[in-house]
Amino acid sequence: MNPFALPTREAAAPSAPHPEAAPLLEGRNVTKFFGGLAALNSVDFAVYPNEIMGLIGPNGSGKTTLFDCLTRVQHVSAGEIYFKGVDITDYKPYQVAHLGLARTFQVIRVYKKLTVWENMLLSRQWGGLSMRKKFHTPPAETEDRARGLVSFLLLDRVMDEQAGNLSGGQQRLLEIGMALMPDPDLILLDEATSGVNPTLIEEIKDRIRTLNSQYGKAFLLVEHNIHFISDLCSRVFVLNYGQKLAEGSPDEIMENEDVIEAYFGADGGDDDDW
Amino acid sequence: MRTLTEIWKRYKLGPLVLILLVLFLFLLPLPRWLAPERKLVSNSLLFSLTQLFMLVTLASDWNMTGGFTGYIDFGHAVFFGIGAYGAGVMMAKAGWPFVPALIVGAVAAAIFAVLIGSATLRLKGPYFSIAMLGTFVAMREIVRVLRPITGGGSGLTLPPYLNRPLFYYVTLILAVLVVAFVWWLRRTQFGATLVAIREDEVGAEMRGINTTLHKITIFWIAAFFTGIVGALWAYQNTFIDPDVVFFESRTIELVMMTMLGGLGTVAGPVIGVTVIYWLRDILWSNFLQFHLLVEGVLLIVIVLFFPEGIMGLLNDPSATSLGRLWGRYLGEGPKDAYQSTETETSV
Repeated sequence: MNPFALPTREAAAPSAPHPEAAPLLEGRNVTKFFGGLAALNSVDFAVYPNEIMGLIGPNGSGKTTLFDCLTRVQHVSAGEIYFKGVDITDYKPYQVAHLGLARTFQVIRVYKKLTVWENMLLSRQWGGLSMRKKFHTPPAETEDRARGLVSFLLLDRVMDEQAGNLSGGQQRLLEIGMALMPDPDLILLDEATSGVNPTLIEEIKDRIRTLNSQYGKAFLLVEHNIHFISDLCSRVFVLNYGQKLAEGSPDEIMENEDVIEAYFGADGGDDDDW
Repeated sequence: MRTLTEIWKRYKLGPLVLILLVLFLFLLPLPRWLAPERKLVSNSLLFSLTQLFMLVTLASDWNMTGGFTGYIDFGHAVFFGIGAYGAGVMMAKAGWPFVPALIVGAVAAAIFAVLIGSATLRLKGPYFSIAMLGTFVAMREIVRVLRPITGGGSGLTLPPYLNRPLFYYVTLILAVLVVAFVWWLRRTQFGATLVAIREDEVGAEMRGINTTLHKITIFWIAAFFTGIVGALWAYQNTFIDPDVVFFESRTIELVMMTMLGGLGTVAGPVIGVTVIYWLRDILWSNFLQFHLLVEGVLLIVIVLFFPEGIMGLLNDPSATSLGRLWGRYLGEGPKDAYQSTETETSV
């Protein structure tokens, strides 16, 4: 059964990028200054269709700033960003969302005083909707999609509950559901497992895998939980002090000396410390 | 009968809607009871109610931006002033009849809202409030300076039209229309986006809502209705000058009334206006020296003890300090909103 009330895409798509595929999201020379501090310094990277890519780096390395620049919450100081081949460098955040790029936030951003159901309906695809149609109640297909996603994310029982009353883990799931509502092609998840119990982390992992393999959704994950990254991602991109430090498969990254040094200092660390 | 029940449930019509409906049906034939032969043109109750309906409309207008989007507008009365002067100038200077003059006033207010909102609605929190207060003061001075058009400080005299029942009906119908509009608006997707903007504007923008466009849209809609009230008020008053039209307390009153009733609720402004309007009447007639003091204390009590207003108190008494105090007085334990949710729904 399709939980989204929408046709599935290419089923069982591999999570590794096709070598000749055009990037879904591409950053060229992305630079961001806060005063004299370079939070991002000439970062080049690409996320491919149907891929799950990890973005890691020590605290303050520029991961969330990169997310903010990609989704246009922050303006870039230099460089260009392309999504589906469209230059979105000067787009507004809502225009980026209309194109099919969704995200979640490091600090959970749900509409806390509204119910789970209202939160979901408010996250529908707004692109291409005329002002006249906005003055209607939500159409049946939007409600069906919201119902399907709420069920897929195990939130049926709290559908009429105020979002602010949910547990941290449930709010994370709700935020993921809200990101999925407009049927995006790429979802940026910013620390989706932070503050979530291990059982729920497994649930989230399972849902991401299903969305990727069965529905062709691409993901870019910012994570500190390296096991989460290594289980899901085909490729990992490492940032340090706003610069690209390394890029490769999770195994390559875990053995990369520069990465180990960035995380644990020159003496390295125990493998379990990840 | 079954259909009526279905409609009632489908559109989540609460008991308050029923009360308002009954009230409306009661108010409709009132002028005929008070002035059966239409001889009474200045019945004080009729006048009071007309003022009340105007305030209900104004408070509901203010609630569209202040209550739903969370943009607390301290200069909303500027649209009232533009509506009053738009209609006043067309009638007194150009000799237009009232209805087209009213349309000019309301449209002028809406256009001004688009222009000023495009700039001020990019500001957040207190910056927006202060910018709108500045706009209000600036507009009063502009009207004062534009003597050839507006009559300056000497004001404008409009042709008198002494038909109290007509003003009563027009303002009653306008108030009902605006409250019904707000009720309907809250149930539309557009209305929901306004609440989303209030809850988390960055999140709303990230989820594809063109927040600037939505804020400006509701701003001009609210200004349009406020402009209509301004024009009606000018015509009823027959005289306008910058100080009576651009009166600072008008906006403060609207804020206070809406807060008392419940910000961002449909019935809140209606309840808030009614309570404060009658309370003020009682205070004026009995404690003339203290009425402002009592109003000030009331505002402090609202903010401190039930910031969600009377509607918040009715919907969830335990969410307000006053409700908790009352619960404690009745011997009820404090309700832990999180407890039940955590245990029942943890995944």
